[in-house]
Amino acid sequence: MPPPAGTLTPGLASFLSSLKSSPIETSVESLVSLLRRRQIRGSRSCAIATAHLLRMVLRNIPVRDVTKLIDRVQQIGQRLAEAQPKELAIGNILRRILGLIRDEAEEDRDREAGGYGETGIGSRNATSITSPDRQPGPTEKRSLLAPNTSTTAPAITSLFSPVPLKSASPTSTPGTHTPGGGSPIAAPLSSTPNTAQDLRAEVVEGVQEIIDELNQADDQIAGYAIDHIHSSEVVLTYRPSMTVQRFILKAAAKRKFTVIHAGPFPNDHWPRRLAGNPNTSLDDDEGNPERFQKSLTVAGVTVVMIPFSAVFALMSRTSKVILDPHIVLADGSLVAPAGARAMAQAASMHQTPVIVLSGVYKLSPVYPSDVKTLIETGNPSSVVGYDQGSLLEKIDIKNPLFDHVPADIVDLYITNLGGHAPSYLYRIIADHYRNEDIHLMRSDLE
Amino acid sequence: MASSSTKAAAAAAQSSLTTPPPEERPSSPPKNKDNSDFDILATYTHLLSTTPTLTMPLAAIASLIKLLTHSPPSTTSETLSLLSTHSAALKRALRNPIACTAGTDLFQRYIISTLQSPVSLQTRSTGDFTTTRDGLVASGEQFVARAQEARGVIATIGGKLVQDGSTVLTAGDSRVVSAVLDAAADKGVKFRVVYVRDSGTPSSSSDASGVGGDGMVARLRGKGVAVAVIGPSATAYSLGKVTMVMVGAEGVVENGGIVSRLGTYQLAMLAKSARKPVYVVAESHKFVRLYPLGQYDLPIQQTVLDFRDRTDDADEGNVPGGTGEEKRSGGGEGDEEAVDYTPPELITALVTETGVHIPSAVSEELIKIWY
Repeated sequence: MPPPAGTLTPGLASFLSSLKSSPIETSVESLVSLLRRRQIRGSRSCAIATAHLLRMVLRNIPVRDVTKLIDRVQQIGQRLAEAQPKELAIGNILRRILGLIRDEAEEDRDREAGGYGETGIGSRNATSITSPDRQPGPTEKRSLLAPNTSTTAPAITSLFSPVPLKSASPTSTPGTHTPGGGSPIAAPLSSTPNTAQDLRAEVVEGVQEIIDELNQADDQIAGYAIDHIHSSEVVLTYRPSMTVQRFILKAAAKRKFTVIHAGPFPNDHWPRRLAGNPNTSLDDDEGNPERFQKSLTVAGVTVVMIPFSAVFALMSRTSKVILDPHIVLADGSLVAPAGARAMAQAASMHQTPVIVLSGVYKLSPVYPSDVKTLIETGNPSSVVGYDQGSLLEKIDIKNPLFDHVPADIVDLYITNLGGHAPSYLYRIIADHYRNEDIHLMRSDLE
Repeated sequence: MASSSTKAAAAAAQSSLTTPPPEERPSSPPKNKDNSDFDILATYTHLLSTTPTLTMPLAAIASLIKLLTHSPPSTTSETLSLLSTHSAALKRALRNPIACTAGTDLFQRYIISTLQSPVSLQTRSTGDFTTTRDGLVASGEQFVARAQEARGVIATIGGKLVQDGSTVLTAGDSRVVSAVLDAAADKGVKFRVVYVRDSGTPSSSSDASGVGGDGMVARLRGKGVAVAVIGPSATAYSLGKVTMVMVGAEGVVENGGIVSRLGTYQLAMLAKSARKPVYVVAESHKFVRLYPLGQYDLPIQQTVLDFRDRTDDADEGNVPGGTGEEKRSGGGEGDEEAVDYTPPELITALVTETGVHIPSAVSEELIKIWY
């Protein structure tokens, strides 16, 4: 849930409360600077802030044309993403909202098209063998499971997209005019060019669902806890967030087990000490270690604190490692607080299962072509303090805040949709993002 | 994609389709039951040799399109049977039909779904079949042109994988790999390349860029990229200095593995044991519906392992140590090189024009293409 209610300090809470009262442009500016100053950080907070802002944008922009609406949302989203390129969750939310708009627009177009799409297997064939930078076309299908797969009839496979047969094609270039329609169940052919309002209402509703999902993700993930934590097991955690905490607490309601909590030197306290600001921990929703321990002990779980150096030694006694990612990438690898890779590697040495708890909003369709760009570097003074002056002159100190954990040392992902093998994540990603939006943030990884 | 390049590619494909095939191999084995005057194999080999940029699946599709123009069918079922007999003939005639199968299957699938599409049904109910047929031919040609652009898209996507300061190891003189590396070099990325040259005879690969990668090496060097050329026996030695391995493929099979030039499998094994990522760059029309269970489960005829003893040697005269060397029986077709199968566990990711996919996503892509 939203971090500390201290609304005086700028952060997610202050941003959300000011959102309603200020004009869009001001809100965008304020979020951009909050992101830049790292006053909003962590996937969850960034996702929530982005979703709320874009919902506001969708509500308030007077746009008749879907293409313009998409452009506008894209523009704002890109500004946010560029403000903090390492927070891929911003891009994830943006992509999902753009996908929503496109879906709604297509639904409307299909209705206009007079029901061509419903017939023939050909219409279900929209494929993605097209250049990714192709104009967003109606032919790109999100997934086979997507409810509305009917696209325009001649879109056999867009590999071919037969021009000569296209005479009756209902869609010319996408977005030249795409008037909205009524609600999806409404009778076909009833749409008139000035009902973009309805489309927008649908989209805003969809964004609300995304926001609900963001709020419920932790509880939904916790719902799977009973399946994974069994009696008298030893569970190893590292930098547990609220997600992990809820997961463990849910299991603790029924079972007795032990949690080993590895201490995260050197980034355990530095932001707080440095800024005097409780909001600037590594992840906004990262639980306070003491509070974490206390709540677990109250629930009847035995909690053992160990230094990180003891992780390998204790791994042989551990039955499960639970990690919490910062972001999950398209190939099933993840970015997690520094130390996670060492831990996962130790676990795979001991054949201990590594479980990663991640909301779907953390799944990014970005392929990590350059991992280095995703790793944030922190304050080196927490590794070697300034009091060691003579040493500082001679050495370079780096303090990466994150680790990239490759997919082959992760055994299971638990998202709010259930448990998945890392090799299956591409499927969930394909379900949630549309092809034309994947390369949205070209600058992200360049 | 710039429209000018689109037009150029389309024009290239067009011209390649309109030039008449020389009847250079009248003795070749295709058995055309009907329309015996059309030699699909000759068309196919001619297309491959005259258009160096054409991949095998696309050459197969282009041949089938030519077939449709050459002997125009007048009904739907005639079209389908014509295509399937000639596809089968072409596949039979080739020693390694995997790449060409990808093309013929895709095209037949496309024809069927086009004929079933409502627009087509409408046209057919009103007009005669000629209109439909012309439509098929025209859109097929357009497909070939567009599929050729895929390489450029892959170059853009794959170019991002090549980072400053990295060293890319490649082998087999793949045109797609070459395009990717060119794109990265043009972008100003500072990287190095290790090229693994075939130790055997200079390969007679179908592209005109040079023999066995010389063209690629020279071009990259010309762009200021430092290239080291090594023999296959130096691969393991060199891997320590390498950031990633990038290879092309002849076919991508259902489980995400690839069928590629002999030596790719061992290269991927070495890379795996050295913990280096292996990227496969291939257009998605190379995806083929095949699920090989191992090296010897491919529908091809090749004699890589040629066990001999005294009596065999005496029979054939000399030729000692035939093991490990490809026995060429086909006689100089550009595509007739020995291949091996690289299982998906050894592949980090496949770069296609639709994006970067992990091997397990290949079946998904296949489904998208086919259904």
